[in-house]
Amino acid sequence: MRRAMAEAEVGDDVFGEDPSINALQERAAELLGQEAGLLTASGTMSNLIAALTWCSRGDEMIMGQEAHMFWNESAGSSALAGAQIRLVPNDDNGRIAAGDVAAAIRDASNIHVPASTLVCLENTHNRCSGGVMTPQDTREVVDVAHAAGAAVHLDGARIFNAAVALEVPVAELTKDVDDVSFCLSKALSCPVGSVLCGSEEFITRARKWRKMVGGGMRQAGVLAAAGLVALDSMVERLADDHANARRLAAGLADVDGLTVDPDSIHTNIVIFEVDREAVGDAREVIAALREDGVLVSHSREQSLRMVTHRHISSADVDEAVARVNGTVRRLAAAG
Amino acid sequence: MEVSNGEEGMSMVVMGRYGVLYTKPRPKSAETSPRVIDMRSDTVTRPTEEMRVAMFEAEVGDDVFGEDPTVAELEKKAAELLGKEAGLFVASGTMGNLAAMMSHCWSRGEEVLAGDQSHVVLFEQGGAAQIGNFFLRTVRNLPDGTLDLEELRSKLQPEGKVAGDPHKTMTRLIVVENTHNMMGGRVIRPEYMDRLAELIRGLGIRIHVDGARLFNAATALGLPPAELVKHADSVTICLSKGLSAPAGSVLVGTAHFISRARRVRKSLGGGMRQVGVLAAPGIIALEKMSQRLEIDHNMAKFLGRGLVSMSDLGVDLDLEAVETNIVFFGLQRSDMTAEDFVARLEKEGVANGDRVIVKMLPARVASGEVKVRAVLNHHVTHQGVECALIRIREILANRGGRKRKQET
Repeated sequence: MRRAMAEAEVGDDVFGEDPSINALQERAAELLGQEAGLLTASGTMSNLIAALTWCSRGDEMIMGQEAHMFWNESAGSSALAGAQIRLVPNDDNGRIAAGDVAAAIRDASNIHVPASTLVCLENTHNRCSGGVMTPQDTREVVDVAHAAGAAVHLDGARIFNAAVALEVPVAELTKDVDDVSFCLSKALSCPVGSVLCGSEEFITRARKWRKMVGGGMRQAGVLAAAGLVALDSMVERLADDHANARRLAAGLADVDGLTVDPDSIHTNIVIFEVDREAVGDAREVIAALREDGVLVSHSREQSLRMVTHRHISSADVDEAVARVNGTVRRLAAAG
Repeated sequence: MEVSNGEEGMSMVVMGRYGVLYTKPRPKSAETSPRVIDMRSDTVTRPTEEMRVAMFEAEVGDDVFGEDPTVAELEKKAAELLGKEAGLFVASGTMGNLAAMMSHCWSRGEEVLAGDQSHVVLFEQGGAAQIGNFFLRTVRNLPDGTLDLEELRSKLQPEGKVAGDPHKTMTRLIVVENTHNMMGGRVIRPEYMDRLAELIRGLGIRIHVDGARLFNAATALGLPPAELVKHADSVTICLSKGLSAPAGSVLVGTAHFISRARRVRKSLGGGMRQVGVLAAPGIIALEKMSQRLEIDHNMAKFLGRGLVSMSDLGVDLDLEAVETNIVFFGLQRSDMTAEDFVARLEKEGVANGDRVIVKMLPARVASGEVKVRAVLNHHVTHQGVECALIRIREILANRGGRKRKQET
């Protein structure tokens, strides 16, 4: 990847002249069953551009109550794109139900009421333990949205994890939606970036909003070159990350004071609960783990999150479990 | 890191931490295709070999967690160079300007004053209003690139004066562009900035310098860049223009301002991860490429002198106005508009026995006239400018048209 970046053929992408970016965008679109693609600086930027493109000021966008777009994007859809967010329930797999979406659709002929112009899906689902939506789940929501005249944006930051977990070509998960974004910089391991894919018309409009938010980079083919390497060689190995996540969960399940639901290990994300009484407050546990050389993040309340990726081998998983065990025992004894 | 001359046809070999890197040889086809002399902008600059090696070797980490050492180094260096506390790498000058304006205009009801020919007004899609939710009012840009200070004085609406007035937005920020693109790459001098600072002293109004081409200004004046921005509360500088890095800009200001700008940047989608791969060439841009800009300025004057010698063919250019790497010229021709001229120029031609394609852009200036803009950059050599002048003369002389009759 470093070699590809250093050797990349580049040009000014604001003039559309960077051959590496053009190649990546074409390749990504083709893989995802869409017409065209657009390199952006981040998944957040891709999601924001989707909101800017599909929604007019004052529209309503429907998404799951655990959505990343709702929780962790600084309210950009509302603050910057002027759309109100309407939440529907996520199940344990991160899915939203077509019926709930249908019930949330507004009748905009009423002057009091915003128009529902966008439904957002997330696959895999970050806050729902990396849970997976199947092609069937996706199609059901798409049908309901389209019947109501709303578009569907798929936040596919980790869509390749979903495809690998389900053992389907990624296009099965992405071809029916109106636009989809995926991250290059997560498990695909590129340094930076996301790719937004949709129809030619969508991408033409998206490109304009990308420039407005400051995402018009010049010789960013250096980043795209890494993306091309990732699409060729970093997808199949995601299965290893999933296996390591299961191994991790199995190990953590044996630690007193921790609870992890083995059925919740869908892809590369492991969320586990820490018993407050027996062990301690989640943030204290995170700090203690850090001291012992295990870096984890906070999901919510007493839930902690660990994510596997190419730098975590199965030996690392075993080591991590051993250290977590040690840390938790120490805290439990001290408590 | 070991660097040596490579095998025949290869230009550089690096044996470093990540293995062996051969920088690419010139592709065979380049020898048989026409030479492109691209003066559409200095944004077309491609990274140097040294920059490519730096990308290959860059130490990286997740910058959203604040763990990328290379971008941290770049931000620190940029801040120091500009005499400010802290810096923030951003994907583009547009993002830098937008994040800056949003960070200054943090409360409802605030406004920014900027030049009517400035980039933030003309070329950033009104992000101020669309995204930032603040008012952007204009003040006339004078031919020298400055804001008309008298007009500015009359337009100031400081919070102290208008907070109780339900008709008026509160002026929070003034944006100065240095060098000024549309006025011809004009240099804003420290003396002007002193007068501006004096004008707004004590009014709770701040200054942001859009220093996309600040280093061109510093080079032209022979002054350290910090001197040009000492009154500025924040500055954006572009790494991807004349400094030739592949992408990005740096925003600098106080530590408090930058922490706010970091938050705004994230909401815009500018929170990149292992961005050290872009920061590494950025450091080279800042330290080395900033030292060669005088060459581009000399090339601009060389182009300008050549153009002035074609005034009998309708070329209208004030050589005194060519201060940096940008040249605007008018075409007083009844048979050809600036757009026609640029289109003809872009067709393949021959100069000094070589096949060449010369690129420039038409640009509508303040008066409404459409002129031609050429921007010099490190890919345009003395020979390149010579060829361009030959092609320009050929096009203007062969059209059979003459300088448009002056109104009497």
